[in-house]
Amino acid sequence: MALNPLTVKKLRRFRSIRRGYVSFLVLAGLIVLSLFGELLINSRALAVSYEGRLHFPTYGANLPGTAFGLGYSYETNYRELKKKFEAEGLENWVLLPPFQFNAFENTPYQNVFKPAPPSFMGGPEGHLLGTDTTGRDIFARLFFGFRVAIFFALAFMTLTYVIGISVGCMMGYFGGVFDLIVQRLIEVWSNIPFLYMVIIIFSVIPSTLSIPARVAILLVVMVLFSWTSMTYYMRTATYREKARDYTSAAIVIGAGTGRIIFNHILPNTISTVVTFMPFTIVSAITAVTALDFLGFGLPAPTPSMGELLKQGTQTLTTAPWIVSSAFAALVFILTLVTFIGEAVREAFDPKKFTTYE
Amino acid sequence: MHQVLPSLSWSGRWLLALAGVFFLVGCGKKKEAVVERDNTAEVKAYYAANPDFFRFATPADLPKDLEWENGADLPEIGSPAAKKGGTFYTFLQDYPRTLRHVGPDANGSFRPWLLDDVVVQWAWRHPTKTDVGPKGFHFFSGLASEWAIDKARKTVWVRIERNARWSDGVPITADDMLFAFYFWRSKYIQDPWYNNFYTTNFAGITRYDSHTFSITLPEDRPDMSERVLKLYPQPAHFFKELGDDFLERYQWRAVPTPGAYTILPEDIDKGRSITLTRVKDWWAKDKKNWRYRFNPDKIRFSVIRDTPKSFEAFKKGEIDFFNLSLAEYWYDKLPDSDPLVQAGLVQKNKFYQDFPRPTFGLWMNTSRPLLDNREVRVGIQYATNWQLVIDKFARGDWQRMQTGSDGYGEFTHPTLRSRPFSIEQALESFAKAGFTTRGPDGVLVNAKGERLSFQLTTGYEALKDVLTILREEALKAGVEFRIEVLDGTTAFKKLREKQHDISYTAFSVSPEMYPRYWEDSHSVNAYDNAFLPDGTVNPERKLKTQTNNVTSTALHALDQKIVAYDRSSGAEEMKKLAFEMEEMLYEHAAFSPGQVVPFMRTGSWRWIGYPEDFHVKLGKNFTEWMLFWVDEEKKKETLDARRTGATFPPVIRTYDQYKTKD
Repeated sequence: MALNPLTVKKLRRFRSIRRGYVSFLVLAGLIVLSLFGELLINSRALAVSYEGRLHFPTYGANLPGTAFGLGYSYETNYRELKKKFEAEGLENWVLLPPFQFNAFENTPYQNVFKPAPPSFMGGPEGHLLGTDTTGRDIFARLFFGFRVAIFFALAFMTLTYVIGISVGCMMGYFGGVFDLIVQRLIEVWSNIPFLYMVIIIFSVIPSTLSIPARVAILLVVMVLFSWTSMTYYMRTATYREKARDYTSAAIVIGAGTGRIIFNHILPNTISTVVTFMPFTIVSAITAVTALDFLGFGLPAPTPSMGELLKQGTQTLTTAPWIVSSAFAALVFILTLVTFIGEAVREAFDPKKFTTYE
Repeated sequence: MHQVLPSLSWSGRWLLALAGVFFLVGCGKKKEAVVERDNTAEVKAYYAANPDFFRFATPADLPKDLEWENGADLPEIGSPAAKKGGTFYTFLQDYPRTLRHVGPDANGSFRPWLLDDVVVQWAWRHPTKTDVGPKGFHFFSGLASEWAIDKARKTVWVRIERNARWSDGVPITADDMLFAFYFWRSKYIQDPWYNNFYTTNFAGITRYDSHTFSITLPEDRPDMSERVLKLYPQPAHFFKELGDDFLERYQWRAVPTPGAYTILPEDIDKGRSITLTRVKDWWAKDKKNWRYRFNPDKIRFSVIRDTPKSFEAFKKGEIDFFNLSLAEYWYDKLPDSDPLVQAGLVQKNKFYQDFPRPTFGLWMNTSRPLLDNREVRVGIQYATNWQLVIDKFARGDWQRMQTGSDGYGEFTHPTLRSRPFSIEQALESFAKAGFTTRGPDGVLVNAKGERLSFQLTTGYEALKDVLTILREEALKAGVEFRIEVLDGTTAFKKLREKQHDISYTAFSVSPEMYPRYWEDSHSVNAYDNAFLPDGTVNPERKLKTQTNNVTSTALHALDQKIVAYDRSSGAEEMKKLAFEMEEMLYEHAAFSPGQVVPFMRTGSWRWIGYPEDFHVKLGKNFTEWMLFWVDEEKKKETLDARRTGATFPPVIRTYDQYKTKD
């Protein structure tokens, strides 16, 4: 793919900003890693060899205990299966992932469901960061909570930008009455309290919906009330670009409106947009965490950092590891994104590369 | 997204401004609306228009053969060691929305302090001697100096204490009881429950003189005396201005009370705090069963919305008492090893009560698809692992509920036991309903491809962990619970609108003599015209909302028994019917009995005194019977000790004199 030499220059500059670039690599690595989270953190085994046949339970349908000669028809407990096979000393074996608890199972600590301290603080084996108030593994919940939050934030960013950029560019390009009316509409719309809307909408949506559908609704509601801010920047940038000669040239040649906006004007205004991206991600993660904290975010028992923070504030003295892990994880992610954001802003700084003025 | 916070604060300002405008408008309107009113004539006309209900007689008309009683031989409640005085500091999660006892918003969490726990009824059921005597429950005297019960005439006569006074000094008379019926039946109070209850459950009231009256009931139920003696009068002189503007006019006016505590206007700091003040020279201060109760001079409530925060306030000593019933608080947040406990500054007490408990469990809506199949419901009962919740979440402290009517003594089914967790039996039942194969996620699927998956709703944020445990266990038996945690009001609304699949909820039960079935099991409360005249199901029946039959139970045979039970006057017959109905409900399997919390656990600072045996058998919570007191000397001593580091012997006690066997 042939990139604009200017863009190549910008990317090179981005790469030269060490802190931002490393943060980018770490975050990208984490995202890719999270896609394969089931292979790393799971109560299901990676592979089971039973009576000469190999099974790979990680993805796909759950295998009942009867499939491995156990006396129950619900999902196999692979940690126990491994112990059993080892005790039997036959050829059967179980290969478990590095972290052996999933984000949903309640494991008792001292025989009750209560927070267990991290294993390095003397807690039970296998729970790197300890467990939460019902004995669920915090590391697993944080990891999958991160995956949910980051993909939620990416989807949120894409959608708000598609809407915000389109509307903003149209306002700037058409101008006049169209601009005037849409601006007023946006002013009205952006004054609708976002949080109350989420609360109201969540109280009326039918509870029969599945969890993915509820997450999608949350996403749509958040996008609906958040796309407006982007329009202001795009509107002014487009106004400026519209007055340039190349735009006039395109109009004279007879290019269509869509082509002019998206092929000619947008590439020249994109630098404004790009610098906002990381900060949008930050605010999306913060917003979804805050909503979870308030109890209006992702439906239970979806793993989420906000829910862990909430638990943590209620158990500050008895289980400080809950709030500290959730807080540290959130700060870590947000810091990474902020570093990337700073680097992007510097790399795409129009003052450095602009050929005008 | 950058917009979120600014838009919030902007909208906040906007809302504030709007609220301000409404407030100003409201004030203006209120000032204009205050007009003097006297409804004496209106009330008289109402009595005259209902001559069958409101009857006027003379003392000479009193039957001569009445056996008057006053419960004076019952054991005294409270401790003679109780000290009067001091201030009891406690907290509220929400500020009361009104000081009215009736009408919208009146049934809030502050009502016990306005009415239930502090009012004086004609007589009270004795909270420790709880057996059923030949005349029903044992009562001790409250506002009534004596009373007489005549089953044949379905009537209870009451003589009022001569010195009984409202908190504003006006004597309490029989006219206040007549007025109470006018008040409760009035449209002005905008409270349909009161309107209905006091219209259908009473046949008439007769005034003999200013201090004697009788109330007649439509039927002579075994708990007849309770139904009358549990009533209390209303201050007719205070409600003279009763009219269409009742809600606004009486919103923040403390109703005069026959009880020990009233609220002074200067003690209402809206949104922040409210204080109860002991009535000066209270008329019942030397009366038996009342003299050692209601001890503090003032009870001060601050608003602390967050439970962890209020707990911290307790540990600092700003709050005198904290409810430690949740295992998390009892074992982890204030363990026996806590320095405050070990130094004897804070005392921990565990007290077993015995009364009908809130009915915690899974209420399955039988009008929903799949749940209309009995085998599915039975399967869910077996798939619900309450024992694990009790053992691992409640650390073995709770007990399993056996039926929906536990705790009624002889009226509780003696042998019926709730279904245990059993994957085999659950799978067997689901198989009978056609759910034989497991889908890729382990959830059972039938031949039509329907998944065995249900929404499980609750309004108890504090108990949501119970649901995550039940969910994981139920999955083993092939049924999926989709958890929905709503705020309390929304969850209750959803339940009453019968929009739920399965609800984890509880109805609170007052310690009555026998369980009620009509409210939650009669078809009248499930459907309009549930059955055709021949007893078969009406194919066009419509679901009825806003009732307590949240399982939508409609069984024709059960209806007949409920009607017979509600009309029965013989305790033996009622017991027989109750057991039969309980067995039918067990077979119907729409309610999976959950947990019973058989105790209260409290933490209190050393200066809070309580009787030797801690509390009464029927005591729901620490404050209910107002037996505690504040010891000012000990408070000073304790606060000094906290500063200097002096210690006292630790107090960690269990009172199991009323503990029931499993």
